[in-house]
Amino acid sequence: MRAASQRMIWLTVIALAVFFLFFRSGLDFDYVIPKRLARLAAMILGGICIAWSSIAFQTLTGNRILTPAIMGYEAVYLLLQSLLVLAMGTQSLVALGANGNFFVSVLLMLGYSWILHRWLFRNGGQNVYFVLLVGLVLTMVIGTFTQFVQLKTSPGEFSILLGFTQASFGRAEPGQLLVSAALVAAVCLAGFRSLPTLDVILLGRDQAISLGVDHRRTVRLHLALIAVLVAVSTSLLGPTAFMGIFIANTAYAQARSRRHRITLPTGCAISVGIFILAQLAVEHVFNYKTTVGILVNLVCGGWFLATMARTRGTA
Amino acid sequence: MITTRNLFKTYGSKSVLRDVSVQFPTGALTSLIGPNGAGKTTLLMMIARLLDPTRGDILLDGSSVAHMRSADYAKRVATLRQSPEFNLRLTVEELVAFGRFPYSRGALTPRDLRAIDEAIAFLSLDRLRRAYVDELSGGQRQMAFLAMTIAQQTDCLLLDEPLNNLDIKHAVQIMRALRRLCDEQGRTVILVVHDINFAACYSDHIVAMKDGAVRCAGAVSEVVTEDCLRELYGLDFEITHGERGRLCNYFNPPGELK
Repeated sequence: MRAASQRMIWLTVIALAVFFLFFRSGLDFDYVIPKRLARLAAMILGGICIAWSSIAFQTLTGNRILTPAIMGYEAVYLLLQSLLVLAMGTQSLVALGANGNFFVSVLLMLGYSWILHRWLFRNGGQNVYFVLLVGLVLTMVIGTFTQFVQLKTSPGEFSILLGFTQASFGRAEPGQLLVSAALVAAVCLAGFRSLPTLDVILLGRDQAISLGVDHRRTVRLHLALIAVLVAVSTSLLGPTAFMGIFIANTAYAQARSRRHRITLPTGCAISVGIFILAQLAVEHVFNYKTTVGILVNLVCGGWFLATMARTRGTA
Repeated sequence: MITTRNLFKTYGSKSVLRDVSVQFPTGALTSLIGPNGAGKTTLLMMIARLLDPTRGDILLDGSSVAHMRSADYAKRVATLRQSPEFNLRLTVEELVAFGRFPYSRGALTPRDLRAIDEAIAFLSLDRLRRAYVDELSGGQRQMAFLAMTIAQQTDCLLLDEPLNNLDIKHAVQIMRALRRLCDEQGRTVILVVHDINFAACYSDHIVAMKDGAVRCAGAVSEVVTEDCLRELYGLDFEITHGERGRLCNYFNPPGELK
């Protein structure tokens, strides 16, 4: 039953991907299809990043209403974009180039999380709620700072900034996609072996230690992996904020299990599928008048509520 | 044999445990008793390695536990904390399977499956095997968690107030199960318990603590005396010996409370 429904999800995702590639493409292999392939790759990578990072983060914090966005990664990203525009004006787009901007963003977010983790874990383990509180405060402080910077920009520059605040699959370039794919593959390899350990962490810190899990090491490893995934997805797509909440909870409801060997692949499939759907709608139905982020939240929210109603609140 | 040597725990200037040196006999059921804030749970959590001592040593069969690998320690000592609010969608069987994690790391072998069956049968939970843990009553849930701890097949079990919030029948069931673990399987059981009568009735050995120090430790007949308990709790006790054993009556002591 479970295996069958998993297979259904994957088949649907593959069908959607094929449809996305060829629908109204005129079989133009020179321009339309390569462009669509790049967008598809961005959706697959982004989907994996968002689903994995949200589900793992919810497990580590023991909380189903959080995403790693609460740790301030996206705030750092937006501050960087604002400062770049403030310092160099519209020239910054040319000076750094899309690739330069991508790599600077990834490195900055990795550096930010490295400093944050160093500081938070400097003397042994900290209460996870303290970590979240620090993350939330930093998010707000950096966000306020970003708004302050944006006050100093001209209307034209501000409209460029607005583009950075919304998730989009259209801006990824092949070079960035290759690097992202390598990073995501490395994370999957490093994390996949310890997925059963994440299952045990769901029982809580004390029970996990009692069952022989090196809790501190596992938490630090997975927070580091999450940092890489968030850095990749934010640099590639832009901020996704709390999209991960919908995706993670829909995955739990669909998988009817909390085992990470099941929920993570299901979550990845669901997010990739929904991204493709949303992108199709934006391109062919709404003619670019709405954004992917809005549609994703609408679809996921609706699906999650429907699953809740169907399983009588046991999602 | 678990031994603690000059164990201290301090938070800032407040000391919670002071110079605790105590032995827990192998293959026996030991109860930690004492008023709230005596340091019983702190001591138990340090033995479980959930808390680090400020000073002092804990020895398991003569070697210090501080540097043992978590995975190895989990094959020798299992801990059950007060079962927390539980919102995972797991069946009893799946929960008990977690007890095999130290051995299988998630991939269950036939030997693991046998251990899970045995633990479930030991507590007569067969009927609840496929029930969801979050839908069980408090007593049944505690039994399910105990089954997980039993499936861990360790020589030593540590339990933090396993009778908390249980009705009297489930409390008797749990205590009987712990007693059988000692008698039939030779395991060492150490538990924190507040009900002095349960402690007196089911233990081999009692460690009485107050204000972060051990007041008295020994066989039940040495510790469960009117003088010792009065000293420990500041209450007047009457101990009667009936056909079914010792009974401590403290429910309505004469005179004003100090």
